[in-house]
Amino acid sequence: MKRNLTAAILAATTALAMPALAQERGGTLNFARYDGSRLIDPIYADRNPDIWMVGSLFDTLLRSSDDGKSIVGGLAESFEVSEDGKTVTLMLQDGLKFSDGSALDAEDVLYSLGRARNPDLGPWAGMLGNVSDVTADGNTITVSLSQPDPTILSMLATFNTAIVNKDVFDAAAGATDQEKSAAIFAAGGPGVGSGAFYMCGFEQGASMDFCANEHHWEMGADGKPLPYLDKVHFDIIPDDATRILKLQAGEVDAVEFVPFSRVAELDADPAINMNLFPSTRIIYSPINTRETRADGSANPLNDVRVRQAINYATNKDALIGLVLQGAGQPMTAPLMSSSTRLASKLDLYSYDMDKAMALVKEAGLEAGTKVTLTTLAGSSDDATIFAALQQMWAPLGIDLVVEQVDGATRGAKNRSGEFDIHTYGWVDDVNDPSQVTGWLGYSPVRSAVGTGWESAKFNELFEASGKEMDQAARAQQYAEMQDIYAEAAPLLFMYETPFAVAISTAVDGYVQTPLGANIFSRATVSK
Amino acid sequence: MAGLQYVLKRLALMVPTFILVMIIIFLLVRLLPGDPAIAIAGDKASDADLAAIREKLGLNDPLLVQFWLFFTNTLQGDLGRSIMMRTSVSSVILERLPTTGFLALFAVTLSLLIAGPLAFVAALNRGKWPDTVIRTVFQVGLSMPVFYIGLILLTFLAAQLRWFPVGGSGDGFFGQLYYLFLPSMTVALYTSAIIMRNLRTSIIEVLDAEYVQFARAKGLPTRLILGRHVLRNALISTITLLGLSIGNLMSGTLVTETVFAVPGLGRLMLEAIFARDYPLIQGLTLTFAVLVSIVFLLTDLFQSLLDPRMRLT
Repeated sequence: MKRNLTAAILAATTALAMPALAQERGGTLNFARYDGSRLIDPIYADRNPDIWMVGSLFDTLLRSSDDGKSIVGGLAESFEVSEDGKTVTLMLQDGLKFSDGSALDAEDVLYSLGRARNPDLGPWAGMLGNVSDVTADGNTITVSLSQPDPTILSMLATFNTAIVNKDVFDAAAGATDQEKSAAIFAAGGPGVGSGAFYMCGFEQGASMDFCANEHHWEMGADGKPLPYLDKVHFDIIPDDATRILKLQAGEVDAVEFVPFSRVAELDADPAINMNLFPSTRIIYSPINTRETRADGSANPLNDVRVRQAINYATNKDALIGLVLQGAGQPMTAPLMSSSTRLASKLDLYSYDMDKAMALVKEAGLEAGTKVTLTTLAGSSDDATIFAALQQMWAPLGIDLVVEQVDGATRGAKNRSGEFDIHTYGWVDDVNDPSQVTGWLGYSPVRSAVGTGWESAKFNELFEASGKEMDQAARAQQYAEMQDIYAEAAPLLFMYETPFAVAISTAVDGYVQTPLGANIFSRATVSK
Repeated sequence: MAGLQYVLKRLALMVPTFILVMIIIFLLVRLLPGDPAIAIAGDKASDADLAAIREKLGLNDPLLVQFWLFFTNTLQGDLGRSIMMRTSVSSVILERLPTTGFLALFAVTLSLLIAGPLAFVAALNRGKWPDTVIRTVFQVGLSMPVFYIGLILLTFLAAQLRWFPVGGSGDGFFGQLYYLFLPSMTVALYTSAIIMRNLRTSIIEVLDAEYVQFARAKGLPTRLILGRHVLRNALISTITLLGLSIGNLMSGTLVTETVFAVPGLGRLMLEAIFARDYPLIQGLTLTFAVLVSIVFLLTDLFQSLLDPRMRLT
């Protein structure tokens, strides 16, 4: 075994050195990403590679805690929600600066929240739909709401409400806000944000550099401004195997999205820490619940008993073993990952072939019923899922066939309803269960993730929960919604996966939050 | 004068080729299933957002209107704006072209350096063990997928022995030589296998030709026979093959650039297809068409230099 005496001594030495390493300053962390950013602007970021980097360059008034379960102060040192739930008062810290040293004040906050609320600009404006006005008096910011909104604090901790420098936008070239944003991003350099870093290098699709913001407000353990690092250098390496080889060759310090089939191998490498960060990522499959398919033929999955049967017949533990090599857990909350707030902990269709057989018999499902699983072409995970489900569902009389498409086609099929079942995944963008619940279950939004499932009771509860300021009552509403959803089974409930990031043992303090954000501000690289 | 006319005629013939390529690629891209608006805004976008994006990109206009806009803009040198890169298509292509160009030329050079000498050794030892060994090794190379060869080279020469970097493209001429050696070699191993087989057969045929037998009977030195008579004549068909290989090589860059994390046109094409970035796919296809046409023209010119009978035809 590799972990012999030398390794033990190394581990002990490392442990002893940790307090010193935690405050070691300087150096560059080389990070290999699976995909590159295209535009890191709070309101225009719409892909995970952009969204997850916003927090490094820009600060929000409030923040999600590292475990994603609570809201803490950010640029605002304190915050308070009025009793009627219609006003939020925030107190900005004194002496805040952007990364070029210029002052960050209330005017920048009003400007930034104005951009974030403008439905003609970014796609996230709806998240602040209840905000009727934002005013400032010195360092005091008042956010007025048209109705009580229990999600407002979470929204003020979400990337799209991050604060940008009004002066930089005013001076930028371009006739529209979008053109100005693109020009600012292309130029790079300090000034537009107040995050721990500013962008100091960018080559589209190839690499990106973040340099330390010496004016950052947040202090490290040594009493000096974070970050500890001088720089983070990103290489864009889409191929999983190449990304890992780059780490093994010592050319980078960390790689994200390690395939689960490689986790055990990297975990055994003494030079690498294999991190599995808890996430809000769930893997599920929407089921078309409409009475007829898009081609007009009868849809066997319209029968709730058949949907329940395939859920019972799916051995989630076996899938997790096959696809994730054990690095995951079955979904226990039907609408969200267990790390999302207000998630239920249910026995969600544990494997039970007897129940499954009884349900299909009761439903009168004909033997040899053809069902199509739409998967992503080229995805080995999806190929494994298909092969496993084909075997698992055969005893029910279901002849599962596969249809392989690319991501854009799958998205279009989901919207048009031209599918039986298809693979899918989700990561929360907001530290509140409303986003994922609206996506998966609230039918007016997107036909309940394209399934066509509709429940008046569910919709009523969802709408009521959007105004419910009493936390216990809201929790009850979410519990009820999850029960209704579990019973109706518009999804094949599968599993939750962590974020797998392999990091050199020379690196300490890097975090990926459950929402996916990459946090480098407390990372160090030992020299 | 006749040579210039020949070149001009060939250049004129490229015009209908490009028009045809433009029509085909325009239609093919739009036949792809999947909505570019979803590819841009993501699955979570609302229907209203998607409708706004489609309107902004002109995707709601009739196809003829869209094509006419694409055609007239292209004639004026404007390939449009990339949807995913949010910048002009021509600037993105110009940024990536040098890397792919370097990779392609490096690969061709390596292919010739590998295939040329070995083809001679195999042909001159026809049926003997050197011939058998060379042909067997190349057969293995031909039967392995490019990405697999690439991963083997990366694992041993880069990750384990650390002679080369695992990925990237490097800066400056020598930086690029160093960084692009492994991806070029990956492509070259496949291409050289094809060239070696063809060149070996051609050399054998030429060696058996009467004029070579006559030269031998006259007592000309072997080096002179091989250089002046055998190589020159054997190269004619190989040059054609090399030209065709460069066309294939362009498509090979899609895989190679992805495996080796080289930010070139091939990797860009893959990203553009997945993102349904119509203007970028169109611009890249046109660029590849222009490059391949230029290579074919150069191939023809080179052939006519080697074989005067082919001139003016």
